[in-house]
Amino acid sequence: MSAIAAKPGANAGAFQPVASVIAIILAIIFIGVAYFLGNSGILAGGAMLPAQTLVGIIVGAALIAFGVHFVPVGGAPAAMGQSPGIATGVAMLATGAGLAGLFGGAWAASLGFGVALAGGAIGGGLMMAITCLMVNISYVYGMGIPAASGKVEKDPITGDSQAAYKSQGTEGHGLPFISYVGGVIGGLFGGLGGTLIYIELLDFYNASFPALNIAGEGASALAVGLAGIFAIGMFLVIAVLSAYNITGTIEGPHDPKFKRFPRAIVAAICASGICGLVALLVVAIL
Amino acid sequence: MQEIIIGIGVTALAGALAAVAGAAEDTESNIGSQGDPNSQVQLAPQMGYTHRIYNKAVSGEPPAYTLWVTLACGVAWAFLMMNVNAVLAIIFGTVLATFVQGIYATTAYLGRTASLSKFGQPVFIDVLKSVTTVTMGHAFVAIFTTVTACYLMSTMLHHPFALPLLGIVWGLALGAAGSATGNPYYGKERQYQNQKFGAGVPISASGNIVRYAEAGQRSSIDNGFFTAKLGGPASGLCFGLIVFFELWRTVLFEQVAGGWGAVIVGVIIILVFMIIDRYVEKWARKNYGPYTAEA
Repeated sequence: MSAIAAKPGANAGAFQPVASVIAIILAIIFIGVAYFLGNSGILAGGAMLPAQTLVGIIVGAALIAFGVHFVPVGGAPAAMGQSPGIATGVAMLATGAGLAGLFGGAWAASLGFGVALAGGAIGGGLMMAITCLMVNISYVYGMGIPAASGKVEKDPITGDSQAAYKSQGTEGHGLPFISYVGGVIGGLFGGLGGTLIYIELLDFYNASFPALNIAGEGASALAVGLAGIFAIGMFLVIAVLSAYNITGTIEGPHDPKFKRFPRAIVAAICASGICGLVALLVVAIL
Repeated sequence: MQEIIIGIGVTALAGALAAVAGAAEDTESNIGSQGDPNSQVQLAPQMGYTHRIYNKAVSGEPPAYTLWVTLACGVAWAFLMMNVNAVLAIIFGTVLATFVQGIYATTAYLGRTASLSKFGQPVFIDVLKSVTTVTMGHAFVAIFTTVTACYLMSTMLHHPFALPLLGIVWGLALGAAGSATGNPYYGKERQYQNQKFGAGVPISASGNIVRYAEAGQRSSIDNGFFTAKLGGPASGLCFGLIVFFELWRTVLFEQVAGGWGAVIVGVIIILVFMIIDRYVEKWARKNYGPYTAEA
């Protein structure tokens, strides 16, 4: 069977029900394994802590996957004013925003769960707000190009007409206001999800290190370092996965490609399940 | 009170260092042609336009800068653990990271240009010898300032992350911010200088980059003075604002309302930037006008 003989009419962004059900079942199996590990004492912290941590990691990953779809990315064409969005790759831009959020959230981790999550979200949103503003300044003042989208007739938020401000031979350029707001929301979700993963892992490591007779100043630094590295690693996994779902470029929440996000969320649930399990099992080999 | 005053001073210094880092990062990535516009440098020989432009994009800027800044932070951290003077430790780390960047640039240029040999694109050894050291110089500035900012955050502001972990976070943010702001300027204004100002490049013109410059064939070294006109300062402003506001809202307002003060101030800052952006967008629409008569 060749690619040409593939089923006609198969939509690139179509939701795959069978694969999604299998992914969700796999995630439930992983949570069950975590519960079993906690119950049998292989992982310290009590029966519920590993399973709780894994559920928190999975929720964080789903938030990250959802947030990445909001970020407007134009890739290489955007660097020449041929398509709207930011002229960087999806995965790296989303990761940059999420890590800036993680930085703020980790700083506020000692002040409480809600404050840390909010701080992480705001950190990511702030980085995207500043970056999107400077991108627009670069287009408007450096290149003399107004922002216009090629996918909609009118901006959904401001009602500005788009077609007349799009230069000939291009698909649009710059960041229309809906793309800007999409970028900020994407940064908010990314920072929120990354910080959630970090805090869940940090609490788990802090709870399980005393059982392994690792205590004192070095233990907390080790917990922070391990949790930070695993949070960054999982962020990259989820961001790249979502970038594949987007197939490269997306204009923002108004883009028809945005409707593909359920697939990415299901895939993120499954991927983060196994990655989270590895992060939990690291304690068992220490 | 004294904690807050020291914190504000450190925040201002870190913000200024970050601004320099952003400008140097964008200049380095434009001289070495590493951002997204490098796709055109790679495409041009395939469309029959051979050139003498450097070609360094093995990866995008964010992961590359993550590598170099984290390397520098890691080596600096190791030296700091051995009680070496902080400035010396950071310089040792930065020098090592700059050498790694030089190796990265050399192998990237040789590999990527060699892969275009069947289109007749030559590998210019004099380009390799002249441009590589220029990119290394700019990379040194970018890496040194970022590592110093990370060191300040770790030591003076007591961030829980260790120095190498901060290097990953801020190296990636530096690459992302510099890439986002500086790439369109390099791509549209420099590579497509012959296109009319004030409009995007039509898709039919892809690959036809400017290859002949003020005197003779264009060399990537000249991208340095060009970037310093707008792309570099804009990228520096972007990354400097990011670092400054991220630190400022935490240092000043974290004690207010049990930590929620920093969150509320962050929301206000985001709304202010949103209003500024809307103003810029409307200014452009009013002053530039539509390309075709509005229907």
